[in-house]
Amino acid sequence: MNAKETLIRNRWRYISFVVGFFLFVAPFALFTRAVYLIVGNTAEPTLHSVCFRMPIDWIFGGRFYSIFGSSWFMAAFVFGVIISSIFLGAAFCGWLCPVGAVSEAISRAVPIPNKFRLRIRDTKLTMSMRYGFLVGFIAVAALVGYKLASDQLGSICCRYCASSVLQNFASALFGDLSAIEYWQSGAIISLLFWLVIGGLFMSGGRGWCLFFCPLGAFSGLAHKLGARLGFYRIEHKPESCNGCNKCQDVCPMWAIKEDHNIERTLCVNCKECVHACDAYKLIRGRKIADS
Amino acid sequence: MKTKYILGFVLVIAITLSLGAYSATLGKSELVHFWVAVPAGNVTAPMVLRGAGPPISMSPIVIDLQSRGVLKNLLQPQLEGLSTHWIYNLGKKPVKVKLNLANVPPDIAVDWEVNSGFEFDAATHTFKTPLYPGGSVPNLGIDWVFHIPAYYMDEPVIYDGGLEVIDADTGAVLTFIPIKFVNGAASSSATQGGSCH
Repeated sequence: MNAKETLIRNRWRYISFVVGFFLFVAPFALFTRAVYLIVGNTAEPTLHSVCFRMPIDWIFGGRFYSIFGSSWFMAAFVFGVIISSIFLGAAFCGWLCPVGAVSEAISRAVPIPNKFRLRIRDTKLTMSMRYGFLVGFIAVAALVGYKLASDQLGSICCRYCASSVLQNFASALFGDLSAIEYWQSGAIISLLFWLVIGGLFMSGGRGWCLFFCPLGAFSGLAHKLGARLGFYRIEHKPESCNGCNKCQDVCPMWAIKEDHNIERTLCVNCKECVHACDAYKLIRGRKIADS
Repeated sequence: MKTKYILGFVLVIAITLSLGAYSATLGKSELVHFWVAVPAGNVTAPMVLRGAGPPISMSPIVIDLQSRGVLKNLLQPQLEGLSTHWIYNLGKKPVKVKLNLANVPPDIAVDWEVNSGFEFDAATHTFKTPLYPGGSVPNLGIDWVFHIPAYYMDEPVIYDGGLEVIDADTGAVLTFIPIKFVNGAASSSATQGGSCH
């Protein structure tokens, strides 16, 4: 499938990327703006106003007052995303998250040959690395939050933040050049891993999502649970498979196993495989649907 | 076969912890985040202020530009920043908070980037809404970005001033947090790691 075909077949998802950008990224941030309007908050919303990671940091760092304080809506949003993943799969990651969308879009737009792009075909290895990060993230949050090693460790959550980098670029794009004036080392490292290594030089452009996003990791676990309960998931029909491996090539999350089944903890229900091959279907219920 | 997965898992945990350790180093020297409370007087040493709200830790801020990360020193040595998300009133009466960076040399330009749930007058650096006892400025984010001319970069002390938190109605300085930018042999005891909100 060439780039034009890919674009046409997945058009709703790519339109959804644009919608996600307008919903969460300033100067638009329409979703956050609407919530702020309802609760009477006069702050100017940015992508940072609904941080996808801080509530997770707060919980494991014991900062419960933040969850129930003025940033309650940020926590509600993150929990909402995780709970929705039980029913819809990690659809927020695959369809709306602007951080993942931008790196994936850049990866698709820049024609670097696949031989220069990293892809781990062993889904168990990808999964073990993804959850290694999650465990490390939780450990740092707890050690810093409970002051067990607060002199030796600092925040992973805020120091290495792709959302901030994206917001700064977007603000600059829409006229506020001061947003990209100051760069701290953590932001430079985030930029390198999010867009350059994880975006351009990882197949699918979702390196940040795979290895650096705790919300994505939790959403993956929720999806695994939801799939077992029979909620929305993508299934492989072996009888329709000719073993061409196209599915593995198009999956941005490296979620297709060697036997062409899907590793749920990685899958974001993006339907790229569904559109590339008839052997995949998005289904609901206990059995694979016929159509 | 299993060894590969365990190694991958442990390796990424180790990388994440290393990033946490690096973050602690950066937190003392790049975009240092600190807490502000009024009225605290002159913050000459690390202190915990208790009053109408939560206990707030404050200390003089000393930023050693030599301790910054390699990437920062390589790409943007002449820009350094400070940040706060927290201004609390631990006193007994409402205060209209005005901020001032004291003793900034005329050739060091400072950009104020402010986002706040209270209306902020950028010309006078004053919040128009009074801050009530026990309260904090909601959804606050202030970054101060210092543009340091090249000829300052070899000085042992580049900036020696501080943040004044002033009662806009009376002009009284309620809190003064000393801030110093130095070259070598010093460290800050402010919040580490670039914490937010």
